[in-house]
Amino acid sequence: MEVIQQLLGRLHPIVVHLPIGFIVTGLLLQWFDRKNNEWGKIIAIIFQWGFISAALACISGYLLYIGEGYSFDTVKFHLWLGVATAVFSLLMFLRLVNPSKVDFLKRLPVVLISFSLFFIISITGHLGGNITHGSDYLIEPLPTSIKSFLGIGPENHEIPILDEKNWEDAVLYADLVQPILNTKCVSCHNSKKDRGDLQLHEGQGILNGGENGLVIEANDPENSSLYARLVLPLDHDDHMPPKDKTQLSKDEINIIKIWIANSNSFDKKIGELGLKKELFTAFFQKTNESIYPEIEVASASIDSIEVLKARGLHVEPLSDGNNFLKVSCINSPKFSDNDVRLLSPIFDQTVHLDLGKTEITDEVFELLSQFSNLTVLKLNNTTITGKNIEKLKGLEHLKILNLTHTNFDEEQFSILSSLDQLQTVYMYNTSISKNAKDKIIGTTEYNFGGYELPISATDSIVY
Amino acid sequence: MNSLDRLIKEKIERDLEAKTRRHFIKTCVTGMGGVALGSLFMSCGSFGSNKGNGKIPLSDRDVNPMASLAPPYPAKVKSVIYLHMAGAPSQLEMFDYKPALQKLDGQLTPQSLLEGKKFAFIKGTPKLLGPQAKFKQEGESGNWVSNFLPHFSKVVDEVAFLKAVNTDQFNHGPAQLFMQTGSPRLGRPSIGSWVTYGLGSENQNLPGFVVLTSGGKTPDAGKSIWGSGFLPSVYQGVQCRSKGDPVLYIDDPKGISRNLKQSTIEAINQINKEEFNKYSDPEILTRINQYEMAYRMQTAVPELMNINDEPEHIKEMYGVKPGKESFANNCLLARKLVEDGVRFVQLYDWGWDSHGDSHANAIDLGLRNKCTEIDRPMSALLLDLKQRGLLEETLVVWGGEFGRTPMQENREGQEMAFKGRDHHGDAFTMWMAGGGIKKGASFGVTDEIGYSAIEGKVSVHDVHATILHLLGFNHEQFTFDFQGRPFRLTDVEGHVIKEILA
Repeated sequence: MEVIQQLLGRLHPIVVHLPIGFIVTGLLLQWFDRKNNEWGKIIAIIFQWGFISAALACISGYLLYIGEGYSFDTVKFHLWLGVATAVFSLLMFLRLVNPSKVDFLKRLPVVLISFSLFFIISITGHLGGNITHGSDYLIEPLPTSIKSFLGIGPENHEIPILDEKNWEDAVLYADLVQPILNTKCVSCHNSKKDRGDLQLHEGQGILNGGENGLVIEANDPENSSLYARLVLPLDHDDHMPPKDKTQLSKDEINIIKIWIANSNSFDKKIGELGLKKELFTAFFQKTNESIYPEIEVASASIDSIEVLKARGLHVEPLSDGNNFLKVSCINSPKFSDNDVRLLSPIFDQTVHLDLGKTEITDEVFELLSQFSNLTVLKLNNTTITGKNIEKLKGLEHLKILNLTHTNFDEEQFSILSSLDQLQTVYMYNTSISKNAKDKIIGTTEYNFGGYELPISATDSIVY
Repeated sequence: MNSLDRLIKEKIERDLEAKTRRHFIKTCVTGMGGVALGSLFMSCGSFGSNKGNGKIPLSDRDVNPMASLAPPYPAKVKSVIYLHMAGAPSQLEMFDYKPALQKLDGQLTPQSLLEGKKFAFIKGTPKLLGPQAKFKQEGESGNWVSNFLPHFSKVVDEVAFLKAVNTDQFNHGPAQLFMQTGSPRLGRPSIGSWVTYGLGSENQNLPGFVVLTSGGKTPDAGKSIWGSGFLPSVYQGVQCRSKGDPVLYIDDPKGISRNLKQSTIEAINQINKEEFNKYSDPEILTRINQYEMAYRMQTAVPELMNINDEPEHIKEMYGVKPGKESFANNCLLARKLVEDGVRFVQLYDWGWDSHGDSHANAIDLGLRNKCTEIDRPMSALLLDLKQRGLLEETLVVWGGEFGRTPMQENREGQEMAFKGRDHHGDAFTMWMAGGGIKKGASFGVTDEIGYSAIEGKVSVHDVHATILHLLGFNHEQFTFDFQGRPFRLTDVEGHVIKEILA
């Protein structure tokens, strides 16, 4: 029986289109017939069928409401207006067929019933759509600017981003648990649609539980169905969310578990609960991991890259599909200042340039100043002295500079240290001593190397 | 019959030999079934190769299989130095400090710990053996290092420890294979082969995957642990000797000039190319490349493998032993190789199997000597890479094939002459350092006696996934089609260990 009831209920979305069709047709015919008044009989028949189909729609709709666990609050307007549609269709039919029998019908103007029907059916239809697709379904495709103008911003389902500093101040429930429920559970367990009589969109609903009783046993996640069902095998009938819905991640499931295990407190902060940082790092904001510029450049032409490759240079994208290039002269020890000009087609794309162990000289800085996105520059094992290094000032993305094993001149060091966009400079095996540290201004890290591992007595002991 | 006639006769005979009845039938079969079998043949050899997205430029790769390629995803490092302590070093004397084990020293092991466990040598009920080293928290990170490694304790802030690595193998051969190829059985490519297959190598005069061994013996699993498995054999590791000539017969024979050598190789390769056109066997291309590489290596390698030209202070820092085979020499070579654009350098040091069956294998004597042998070189390697700006683009991995038991080994149920520990794979320590690694991190915790992982257990596959991740691969997409299915280094497992990533 229940099966038939559910099946009929689910036919509701199809059945509802019949009364809509009949009634709209009837109204249209009335409009066209307003002068001649010739089609009365036909129009009456149409409204008769409008009533019959509307009544069927009401019945199927009621079955759907019973069977699918919608709350009455959600469907009440749609339900009453649906009934009203049926009633008004009946009124219209009776009014058109035989107005003389019932006295008050005669006094009812047809136009009034027509307009009422028109409004009722429009609103009923819209509300019905809202129940099926969600109230924001219709306006969702609108551009954000229009939405914010209308005062209907997008709903915030995002998990707030934690970071190294604020994670202890986050409230476990409000900042993690509820947002996780919002993204993965609430679409079926809310005040409008409470499958299994369970509402998870706010704290009270979670505490109230569902048709099988409470979903939380304080401090006992294994026996709390809110957690236990998440970790059942995916194929298990009781697994939540259902197999075809987006599943919770391992870290998210873990958060639900921790929350229940800590008395499912609604207001305690992570710090107050004394929980470990590792549990939350998955929700930390991802800092920009790449050192390379966060801008788009056009891709370099394949031909120009092929030309360079044919000359023995390594020219490769940073990764597949990335337009930034990494250039290395590791197989071209004869590479010289003039050869840098060959790179002119890829000046903008080159972010990593390795000129180590080549024949470049200080003249190279002039050309290097044109590599607008250069981030890593290696000039190690060359004869440069650092003259003209001020030309690198304009390279705002330059972060790592390798000058190891060069003839870098102490006099140029103050100019070098004024390049404050640099993050790390490697100066091992140059004439610049560690004493130059005093001259360093800014936050650039200078690595002068020269590490030692002092001889210790244990080095030579044989046991 | 003069020699030319003999040559011509031989050629004709060889050509005829190539056309046997079998060959005829084979040609017929492949001719007819070729269309249907085409897709199957795609999975054999480099013609069916793909790199996750299948975008390897085929011709370029065939002509130059070691050409450097961009990684599929942005990479943190471009090279790897893998230090493998063959024999399995004892984590309990080096990094995993267990004071509780000291208190239990000499007590019989509770049965609950032994049930269902397999050991290589332990029989009956062994006694627990307390740590034979003294531990201190070192550096800003406060990670524990034993007094067996005084120099390493100074660089401990550079590395990230994995304290609970797990393997399911407890014998050296399979465990080494598992650690280096992702499978305890033969036939799978090693990490270095996968990496050079995927990325090629920058320096075209040097092999992309170099293997150096020390400690007197090569690892138990043999050369398969740097083998290329089903990948084209050009990607197998090239073992260089650290004593004498780095590669045997690298010098031209007396009386052979460089030019003559060159034209010889050109002629051989010309013949090989004709063979390739005939049979399309990718292994012929490998052979051609090996000839060319060998020719280029003749000049590049002796220069590179010569550590004598390094400045004194560097040699002192590493503690090199010129003219001998030593881990220190290999560490210095590893730096030089990486500096010159070699993709993957694999070091094996033999002699870590501290069973307690001899002085050299005693956990408090021989192991301590082994620690002294690697302590200075591996610390120097980290510092030297750092001062050259290479550490940020190199990944250094240290580990064995498994760890050792908290119990004292009792071979054949007998008390042994020296203190030793048996093989144990449930939880052991590895460390990584370099680009993309969280400095000073320590992930994974073992129980009070260092027997099992209680937190942060990672598998060998996880270690592999992490190495590939840092090189710019998604280990799940980096595949090679073989025998009708795509293969991965991590097979069907592995998760990137994010906890040790910066």
